[in-house]
Amino acid sequence: MMHSRRAATALVATLILATSAGCAAGSAASSTPSGSTSASSSAAAYGKTLTVWVMGDSATKFEQLITPFETQTGIDVTVEAIPWDSVNDRLTSAVASGKGPDVTQIGLSQLASFLKGDALADVSADLAAYPNLAESNFPSAVANKALNPSGGVYSVPWIADTRVLFYRSDLLSAAGISAPPKTWDELRADAKKLTDKAAKRYGYYIPQWDAPLPVTYTWQAGGEIMTDGKVDVTSSAFTKAADHYLGLYADGSVPTASDFDQTTGFISGSVAMLVSGPYLAKAVAEQAPDLDGKWSVATVPTDASGTSLYAGSNLGVWKNTTNKVGALMLLNYLADPATQVSWYTSNGDLPAATAAYQDAKLSGDPLVKVYAEQLKDARLLPVSTKWDAASSEILTALNKIAVSGADKASTLKALADKVATINAGN
Amino acid sequence: MTSTRSRRKARERVGTVLIAVPLTLGALICALPFVWMVANSVKTRAEAVSYPPQLLPSQWTFAAYVKLFTELDFLHYTLNTVALVALGLVGLLLTAMAGYGFAKFKGRALGWGFFAVLMTMMIPAQVTMIPTYLVVNAAGLTNNLVGIALPTLVSAFGVFLFRQFMITIPDSLLEAARIDGASELRIFFAIALPISRPILIVQGLLTVIASWNSFLWPLILSSSQRTYTLSVGLSLLNKQITTDPTVQMAGAALMTLPIIVLFFLAQRHIVAGFTMSGIK
Amino acid sequence: MQNPPVPVGAKAGQPRHLSRRRSVRAGSRRQPTSRWAGWGFALPALVLVAVFGLMPILVAAAVSFTDLDIGGLAHPETIRLVGAENYLTLAADPEFWSAFALTAGYVVVGVPLITVLALAVATGLNRNGGRFYRLLRTLYFLPAVTALVAISVIWKYMFNGQFGLFNWLLDLAGLPAVNWLSDPTSAQIAVGMVAVWRAIGLNSIILLAALQGVPDDQLEAAALDGAGPVRRYLHVVLPQIRFALGFVVMTTLIGWLQFFDEPFVLTDGGPVGATTSLSLFLFKRGFRLNEFGYASAGSIVLLVTIAAVTLIQLRLRRAND
Repeated sequence: MMHSRRAATALVATLILATSAGCAAGSAASSTPSGSTSASSSAAAYGKTLTVWVMGDSATKFEQLITPFETQTGIDVTVEAIPWDSVNDRLTSAVASGKGPDVTQIGLSQLASFLKGDALADVSADLAAYPNLAESNFPSAVANKALNPSGGVYSVPWIADTRVLFYRSDLLSAAGISAPPKTWDELRADAKKLTDKAAKRYGYYIPQWDAPLPVTYTWQAGGEIMTDGKVDVTSSAFTKAADHYLGLYADGSVPTASDFDQTTGFISGSVAMLVSGPYLAKAVAEQAPDLDGKWSVATVPTDASGTSLYAGSNLGVWKNTTNKVGALMLLNYLADPATQVSWYTSNGDLPAATAAYQDAKLSGDPLVKVYAEQLKDARLLPVSTKWDAASSEILTALNKIAVSGADKASTLKALADKVATINAGN
Repeated sequence: MTSTRSRRKARERVGTVLIAVPLTLGALICALPFVWMVANSVKTRAEAVSYPPQLLPSQWTFAAYVKLFTELDFLHYTLNTVALVALGLVGLLLTAMAGYGFAKFKGRALGWGFFAVLMTMMIPAQVTMIPTYLVVNAAGLTNNLVGIALPTLVSAFGVFLFRQFMITIPDSLLEAARIDGASELRIFFAIALPISRPILIVQGLLTVIASWNSFLWPLILSSSQRTYTLSVGLSLLNKQITTDPTVQMAGAALMTLPIIVLFFLAQRHIVAGFTMSGIK
Repeated sequence: MQNPPVPVGAKAGQPRHLSRRRSVRAGSRRQPTSRWAGWGFALPALVLVAVFGLMPILVAAAVSFTDLDIGGLAHPETIRLVGAENYLTLAADPEFWSAFALTAGYVVVGVPLITVLALAVATGLNRNGGRFYRLLRTLYFLPAVTALVAISVIWKYMFNGQFGLFNWLLDLAGLPAVNWLSDPTSAQIAVGMVAVWRAIGLNSIILLAALQGVPDDQLEAAALDGAGPVRRYLHVVLPQIRFALGFVVMTTLIGWLQFFDEPFVLTDGGPVGATTSLSLFLFKRGFRLNEFGYASAGSIVLLVTIAAVTLIQLRLRRAND
C-alpha cells in the first residue's frame, strides 16, 4: 500500500518535473543576454535589460514614464501589458515555469496569490540602499508587516487607491439635504429620501462584484474580518455590516441590476450617491464635463469608525530575476515622489508615496484632498489565500439574500459553515 | 394540366413567402448585433452609452479606430494574427495528411490512433491549459508564434472530416499511380489532395476563423506582448469601470469584418464542400 | 461514424464494398509499405494530438489525486498525495452539483433547440440558391465567425439594463424592462440565447450541405406516389440527412457539456452563481483560486461524463439504424 502510494507520488512528481526541468534550461538560455552585458560593463553592477509587467492597457504611458530612467541608467526596459482579467492565468504559468518578468505590478487583491506562488524576491536586505523604498515614505496601511504577513519584504507600494463617497450635490440639495451623510444612519435615511423608484432613481448604489465592501463595513462597525489567520463571519461587527448592506437593499434605495453601470448611472442621476474610487471621478470628468460643480466627494460615512479600503498596486521583483539590482533601481525610481506625481498627471493614479501629495498638482485639487484624507484611515484587505476563497462566498451569500430573496438566517448559517471549511484548509 | 401547374406554382409562391419572411427575420436578428457594433464604433463615447440608444450616430467619428492604432499596438497585433493564420494553414496540411493516413491505410493500431484523435474532441480546453503551457515552455517556444500555434495546429474535427472524405477516393486510382511508380507522398499531393479540394476549402475557412480569433493560447503562451493577437489586444481594453465602449466596439469590428468578407466570398464553395464531405 | 455513406460527388461513385475488396487484394502484396506510409502521414498530427490532447489528460488525472495549488507549482516537493479526497469533496460540494444540474439543463433544452432551429434555417435556405439567399446564409453564419472577445463586448452592451438596446426595444413595444444579465433566471436564458445564436450558423451550413445532397429524383418519385410535402420531408429528406443530423446532435451535445464561453464573458457565472456551468466552475476553482488538484478531479469527471454520453448516443443511433 505504502509502496504504491509512493509510486504514485513519484509519477505525479515526474510528470510535473519532466516538463518543468526543460524550462529551467530554457530560461537560463534566454536570460544570458542580460547576464552577460552586466559582466561587460565595468562601472555598474547591474544588467542592462529589464522586463516589466504592468496591468491593463497602459503600456505606452508607462514607457513614457520610465524613459528618463532608461537614459540615466542605460537599462533597456521592456514593458508588457497584461489584461486585468488574465493576470492570474499569466501568474500561474509564470510560476509553473519559473519564467517571469524582472519586475511586476501586483494588484493588492492579488498579492496573496503572488506570495503563495513564491513568485517574488525578498528584498528586505536590500532596502537600505534605496531611500525611496523606505517604509516611512508610505501610509501605514501599506506597512511591511501588513503587506507581508509571514515576514520579509516582497513588494513595495506603487499606486494608492481608496474608496470615498461620491454624491450629486445638485440632487441632494433638491431633496433638501444640505450636506453629504456622515454616518451610516444618515446614509440610509438620505438614500431613502433620494430614491424615487417610479422614476428609476436611486439614492445609493452597491456594486454587486465589490468584494471589499462587506469588509470595510465590518471595519467601520469596529470589527475584524480576519483574526489569527481565520476568516470570521460570526462576529457582531460582521452581523452589523451585513445588516447595513442588506438594509440598504431592503429600503429599496439600491438598484438590483448586477450590470448597472456606475459611471453612466452617476452621470444620468439614476444614483445620487455611491462609494467608489478615484477612477470614477476621472470617468465623470471625462464623459460629462458639464456636470462639473454638481457633484463632489467626501470621506465615507462612519459607524464606529470611518475606515475605508486601501486598494491600488504594488511592485515586486521577480524571484529568479538575473538583474535584481537593476530591478530595485527601477523600483526606487518609480517610488520617487517626482515620478509618482508625473504618473498621477499622465494616468490619474494616486501616488503611494506620501510626499507626493505636497506637490501643487495634487494639493491644489479638492478631490485629492479628500482622497488623501481618506487614505489616512484606510486598510488593506487581508493578504491571505483563505480570504480570497472566502470573499466571493461572502459576497454571493449577501447578494443571494439581497437580490434573489434567499432566507437571511439560513443563508448566513450556510456561509459560516462554508467559511469554517475554508478556514480548516491549508 | 396547365391549371394544376399554375396552381402548384401559386402554392409554391405562397410557400416561398411563408418561408422567406421568417427566414429573413431570423437573419436580421443574427445580424443585428453587428450593425449595433459598427454603429457604436463610430459614435462619440457619450452617445454610445446614452439612453434611449440611437441606432445611427448623430455625429460620426473615427476617433476610436485611430486610438486602436496609435495608443494601442493594433497594427502589431494584426500582423501577429495574420502570421498565426498562416501557421494554421500549415496545420491544415498536417490535418489533411492525417485524414489521408487514417482513410487510405489499414491497420488496427492506426484505427486506435484515429480513436485517440476523436477522444481529444471531448476535452475542455481548460483541462489542458497548464500541462500544455509546461510542454511549450519546455520546448523553449513561449516567445514565438510557432509555439503559440502548436496546441491548436491539428484539429480533431478536421482530421475527422478529411478522413470521411478521403475514404471515398477510389483505391484503384491510388493503386494505378503506385504501379506507375509514384511515391506515396506524390500520390497524396498529386491525387488525394486535389480531389479533396471541397473539404480543403471548408477546413481552410474554419482554420482561418479559428486562428484569427484565437485567444486562450496566445494569452497563456506569450511571454511577451510581441506575440499578442487581436483577441488578446482587445481584452487589454477590459477594465471594470473605465472601459470605453467605442474603442472596444471598434476593435471588435476590426476583428470581425475581414472574416465576414472572406465568408461571403467563399460561401458557395463552403456549402459545396460540406455537401461533398460525406456528412449527410 | 464507422460506416460513412458515399458522398454524392460523382467521382467517388464507386460502391464501397468493391473498393475495399480490391484494396485487400492489392494490399496483400503491399501491406507493409502501405501501413508504414499510413503512419508516415498520420504521425505529425498524432504526435501533436498526443502531446497537446492526450498527455494533458494524463497529467490532469495524476494531479487530481494531489493537493496541487500555486504553492505546489513553485515547490513541487510540497505536493501531497491525497488519494480520492478531491473526488469525495467534489461529490459533497453543492456548488459542483448545481453547476452539473445547470449544464444538464442546457443539454436537455439546448441540443434539441439548436438542432431544430438549424434544421429549420437550413431547410429554408435550401429552397433557393439566389443572391438574396446567399446573403441570408452569410448573415446566419456571422455569429459563428465572430471572436469571443467581440461577442462579449457587443452582447453586454445590448443586454445592459441602463442603456442597452433590448430594453429600449421592449420599451418601444410597451413591454416592461427585463434585467437580462442580473436576474438569475433571465441571465440563464440570456446566456443560453447567445450560445444558440452562435451555434446556428455552422450547424445550419452542415445541414444545408446535406440537404443539397438529397437526390431530386427520389423527391420526384415520392411526389408522383402522392406524398405531400410534409410526408416527403419526413420520409425522404430526413432519412437522407440522418448522418448529418447525428453529427450535429453529437457536436452540439459535446458543446453544451463543455459550455463555458458565453457565461464566462457575459456574467462570469453570476448573478449569485446562477450561470456557473460545469466548465466555468472548474475554471474558477482551478485558475481563480489555484486549486489545481480539485479542479483536475472535476475535469476528469467532466471528461468521463462527456465520453459516456457520447458513447450512449452512438449506441442509440446504431441501434436505430
